Amino acid sequence: MLRFVIRRILWLVLVLFIVLAITFILMHLVPGGPWDREKALAPKVVEALNKRYGLDKPLWEQFFNYIGGVLHGDLGISYSRSDRTVTSILMEGLPKTATLGVLAFILAQALGIPFGMAAALKQNSLIDYISVLFATIFASIPGFVLGILLMIIFSVTLHWLPTSGWGSVQQLIMPVLCLAALPAAQSARITRASTLDVMRQDYVRTARSKGLMENVVRVRHIFRNSLIPVVTVAGPELANLVTGSFIIENLFAIPGIGRMFVQGIGARDYSLIMGSILFYAITIALLNLVVDILYAAIDPRIRLE
Amino acid sequence: MADTARIDVVAVRPHHTIWGDALIRLRRNKLAMAGLAFIIFISLAAILAPLLTPYGFADQNYDAILEDPSSKHWLGTDQLGRDTFARLIYGARTSLSVGIFTQFIVLCIGLPIGAIAGYAGGKVDNVLMRFVDVMYAFPDLLLVILLSSVFRGTFFGGSIYMLFLAIGLVAWVNISRLVRGQILSLKTRDFVNAARAMGGMGNYITWRHLLPNALGPVIVSITFNIPRAIFTEAALSYIGIGVKPPNPSWGAMIQDGFSLIFAKPYMLVFPAIALALLMLSFTFLGDGLRDALDPKLRR
Amino acid sequence: MNKRTIVFSLMATLITLSLVFTGACSSEEGKPKPGSLKDPQEITLNLGGEVVTIDPNRASWSNERSVIMQCFDGLLAFNADLSLKAMVAKEIPTVANKGISSDGKTYTFKLKTNVTWSDGKKVTAKDFEYSIKRMLSPDLAAEYASFYFAIVGAENYFSATEKTAAEKTALRNAVGVTAKDDYTLEIKLNDALPTFINLMALWPSYPVRQDIIEQYGETWTAPPHYIGNGPFVLQEWVQQDHYTFVRNENYWGTKPYLTKVTYEEITDINVCLAAYRNNEHDQAGVPAGTEKAIMADATLSPEIVRYAQLTTYAWQFNVTKAPYNNKLVRQAIATAIDRVAYIDKVRGGVGKPTTSWIPPGMPGYDANLGSQYAFNPTKARELLAQAGYSDPKTLKIKFQYANTGTNPTIAAFLQAQMKDNLGVDLTLEPMDPKAYSALYNSKQFDSCFTGWGADYPDPDNWLPQLYGTNAGNNKTQYSSAQFDAIAAQALKELNETKRLQLWADAAKIVSDDLPMAYIFNRETFVLKKPWVKGQVTTGMDGQIAGDMFLREIYIQK
Repeated sequence: MLRFVIRRILWLVLVLFIVLAITFILMHLVPGGPWDREKALAPKVVEALNKRYGLDKPLWEQFFNYIGGVLHGDLGISYSRSDRTVTSILMEGLPKTATLGVLAFILAQALGIPFGMAAALKQNSLIDYISVLFATIFASIPGFVLGILLMIIFSVTLHWLPTSGWGSVQQLIMPVLCLAALPAAQSARITRASTLDVMRQDYVRTARSKGLMENVVRVRHIFRNSLIPVVTVAGPELANLVTGSFIIENLFAIPGIGRMFVQGIGARDYSLIMGSILFYAITIALLNLVVDILYAAIDPRIRLE
Repeated sequence: MADTARIDVVAVRPHHTIWGDALIRLRRNKLAMAGLAFIIFISLAAILAPLLTPYGFADQNYDAILEDPSSKHWLGTDQLGRDTFARLIYGARTSLSVGIFTQFIVLCIGLPIGAIAGYAGGKVDNVLMRFVDVMYAFPDLLLVILLSSVFRGTFFGGSIYMLFLAIGLVAWVNISRLVRGQILSLKTRDFVNAARAMGGMGNYITWRHLLPNALGPVIVSITFNIPRAIFTEAALSYIGIGVKPPNPSWGAMIQDGFSLIFAKPYMLVFPAIALALLMLSFTFLGDGLRDALDPKLRR
Repeated sequence: MNKRTIVFSLMATLITLSLVFTGACSSEEGKPKPGSLKDPQEITLNLGGEVVTIDPNRASWSNERSVIMQCFDGLLAFNADLSLKAMVAKEIPTVANKGISSDGKTYTFKLKTNVTWSDGKKVTAKDFEYSIKRMLSPDLAAEYASFYFAIVGAENYFSATEKTAAEKTALRNAVGVTAKDDYTLEIKLNDALPTFINLMALWPSYPVRQDIIEQYGETWTAPPHYIGNGPFVLQEWVQQDHYTFVRNENYWGTKPYLTKVTYEEITDINVCLAAYRNNEHDQAGVPAGTEKAIMADATLSPEIVRYAQLTTYAWQFNVTKAPYNNKLVRQAIATAIDRVAYIDKVRGGVGKPTTSWIPPGMPGYDANLGSQYAFNPTKARELLAQAGYSDPKTLKIKFQYANTGTNPTIAAFLQAQMKDNLGVDLTLEPMDPKAYSALYNSKQFDSCFTGWGADYPDPDNWLPQLYGTNAGNNKTQYSSAQFDAIAAQALKELNETKRLQLWADAAKIVSDDLPMAYIFNRETFVLKKPWVKGQVTTGMDGQIAGDMFLREIYIQK
């Protein structure tokens, strides 16, 4: 197991380098730079700005300087945010985005998995239809539409919750709900599908015919095996949630990484973009690693190769 | 003594392939059929749009701005006096195309990669999955902005093909992981061992046995991906990459309606409902397909 | 007189007197009645967009101005009617009071002696000298530095990015800004420039603290080091979330009523409106297209605040690319746009159609300029035929724009106008804002949609920058030797009447050649809670309506 993890981490380093290189190239291929604006800056000013931020150097030199910095833990400074270091900006945004993401993930699985399984176990019953209905409805409404609807109901009309911002528990409720809606629906449907699948397997019939109690059958056999597709999707889903949902963060004015990142692209803030991608890539890769380990834990027939 | 007459009468189970059997089961599923019917209905409406409405989707009428639904304008008008019903029907063309054609790209890339990774295992799996990791770490937004600017000067221009390519190239990753996961777990099941024992080779096993069984969750995933592709198109219109105006799309109409929600909530409600109904249809259809393809339910 | 007449006269007098008194004291924009002030005096506004920097020397965006204006006072400032007034300076320098030399090249500012920083230290001329020289420094790369190149040695110093430290110091010392003593500042210009005085009211010339900057470097803009001499002090800045300003208790001038001002950072305009309706904010902008509905809403319509902005939006043509190189084509297009329908019907009356560049409210505005381009489809078609396009279908034109805000709506409108009124096919090409700016600045566009807002209210901020040959903001590549000649004269002309006449002549040349089809002037449209009083708005406000005069606001009970 340890060898497996170490090998994966070494791969991770290579992957990160490739990801950074591709991002760097893409960023510079996209038209428009950080100083372009409609009311043009004088050419001398643009020259001075480029010199100040090292953007006048040849591209390959800029890239290697950047990598050198990263290896020392220095992610550069952000040109669109008062020259603050990218590290400090990410560190500020990370707890907010992560809290939001993790809470949404927990809510999504806490709602999705039980409902999905219950729906499968009692197929074609009322609970099945209700679960499918809600799952489908939440998967049909775009997050920002749900967001503004909730805002109109709970803030503007009932005055129960504040519209936006970060800091209090009340400000968390609506964004977490919006963010959790689609993943909850997806979890429920996939859990239901795979539970139904597992339930028809021979080994379940065998377990039942052995005389095991239904509960034991459920826990020992059905649940564990149903979870595999759920884990496959849940891994990337958590990664997605944690690395920030721009639309929800923008709507609810949450100062998190997702919002910063897309604003960074809009402003062509190269160091902020690279820093966010680095963070994003590390998170995904680590979560993938966790998912693969979980596979082995759940399904003993899969060996980690 | 054997009763020859009886033998003739004994019913023999008709032979169906996995797909033929699926079709029969699908036809029996009422919800799935309803979904399919709605999809066909919307597609027909989209194709026959000029017959269904006297208004063009770009006809502006400054004396009829932001009107409520009326007998003249069944679903009201937008901020430039364009008929909402007309835009909804013409918009179906764009949205349906985006939803469906991007999935072709997703399947063409994601399915083979996931299947090969899952079946072959070992180094091949590792390399492919690391490649998937790299793709996955990619911000779709950046990739799409880049693609649109690269294509801007070519014959693609701002056309819809570039949109398919951009969304498809970014969305295949999930499918490949799903397929791989399924195959990993199915690889060791008995029927695979049986097929091997009978002398079946790698590819044969993958195509004939693993894939049909792996397809269940893949189909469910695809039915979620179609409206997701349509939502993505809406998000892209917001940044300026989307169908070229004045061509309407449901995603763009939702974005527009979003800003007008305090003035005329209809502008958001109508396209949102249309999209939700389409989504429901694809979902029921997808469920039906999944149930239909489940080999355990074969009769 | 009999008794009845006396009584009537007395009553009449009393009634008249009371009317006069109430008239004088109940004005919205006047001083508060005693006892009517709410306690505490606090206001929450929305800034809606993270700033890049709030260092006065380096700032350039309007949301940055909104922050800087509360914390700093410059030598001069603008009144509500956009005339200049003396702030830290004792009086506005003129030739009459010897503040300006007779050749117009030397300005002498005498400073008030009671002006202090928020920590009590005195503001001196040395602070201004340090600030202006810092702003011109090649290492700072300040975005508005080019505006101050009229100062002796400024451009040389700014361009010295490659020179050694010693050379830079020498160039710095050669810049024509000197503190003659603690309260006298002398500025020397290369050439007479009558509008230079406006630049001393702009934020890049605000004073900054040398000792703080030398100690803290770039981090000096974070509280508690962000020390200014203005009516408010930035107490707290949570990035991307909010700014909290408190009243400067050591303020040298008249202290504001407000004790606390909060700026929040909500970027989605629909949420802004929701927050306003939920009483979280005291003022909010509204999503485009909802103005009519808000005007019709009984609760919200009395809370509307509207006023003209000094901005003009135009359809700009690249006059070097066919078919825009043909003047008749440009004129045909301009005459085919029904501006009135756009403003009145599509925008609910918010904004003002215009056929000329300089907006109303500014010197140089001429309501009749460009009237030959008022909407007239018949005339437009004739012009197009004269241009050689008797079959309009042969004319293919392209239009590029940034896909944000109301641009998509106006682009769709223009497309329909061209089709309906001229029979011409207009292809729309929406782009992401930076990509659009890059295209615009590189002059590769075909035709595009761009606006211009005033930095200061004078034609020389509007005309030479955009229409002078090879001028910095001349993206249409328009070039007219006649215009250049008049502009060169006007920039130096010391006689105000003559100067404005010269600019009017220049504007007429541009109007005849029409490198841009002018469409409308923008209007600010916001909602303000009824208890917010004393607001003063101007056409040159920063990001927030009324932010140039927050010090005048008070909250009523």
